Amino acid sequence: MAIENEHVTADVIEVNEFPHLAQRYAIRGVPKTVINESVEFVGSVPERDFLAHIQRAASPSGSSSEL
Amino acid sequence: MGFLSADNQNEIKHLFEGLAGEVQLIYFTQKESPLFIPGHECETCKDTRTLLEEIAGLSDKIKLEVHDFVAETEAAREHGIDRILGFVMTAEGVKGKVRYFVMPCGYEFAVLVGSLLDVSLGKTDLSESSVETLRTLDKDLHIQVFVTPT
Repeated sequence: MAIENEHVTADVIEVNEFPHLAQRYAIRGVPKTVINESVEFVGSVPERDFLAHIQRAASPSGSSSEL
Repeated sequence: MGFLSADNQNEIKHLFEGLAGEVQLIYFTQKESPLFIPGHECETCKDTRTLLEEIAGLSDKIKLEVHDFVAETEAAREHGIDRILGFVMTAEGVKGKVRYFVMPCGYEFAVLVGSLLDVSLGKTDLSESSVETLRTLDKDLHIQVFVTPT
């Protein structure tokens, strides 16, 4: 997605290397994805669902959600 | 000692024949020191550098740059690297930023190889409708995917 859009920064982060981030984002399962501090979900999801999360994070309200 | 067996190297070389253009791996690490400084340790920095050097050695289309995170603060800032270990993967045609804060081993190694191929092509395997939707996004999005070694 970062390849396709200049507004996207995509990070892959190893939890054990950065325990402060694991604590900050309450990582209890992986993969956990956090988008703009407002949308987060655990596990692999189909492309369509991932895009829906992206759109929710990009919406004006950037509504919060956790699955 | 390297991480990739001769068989692995041959297999990856074969995959890298699919690299379309040059890919830059911009890696930030710390100077190796005999002194242990609490809070400044990076347990996998050295191994990650070795692994990235091995990967870069498998194709002349992969260019590895190694930077000192402490001494080259301007370069780190320019690439958005605020912690180590960290590296950026980029190529012509890549619009956003692809960053790794992980030693790419196990499953993440396969992810890295796939990303290298996508980045070199400047496009992904996403469906056309997904790409269209992404094109309409004009808000900055920071996607963080947290993983553990597998």
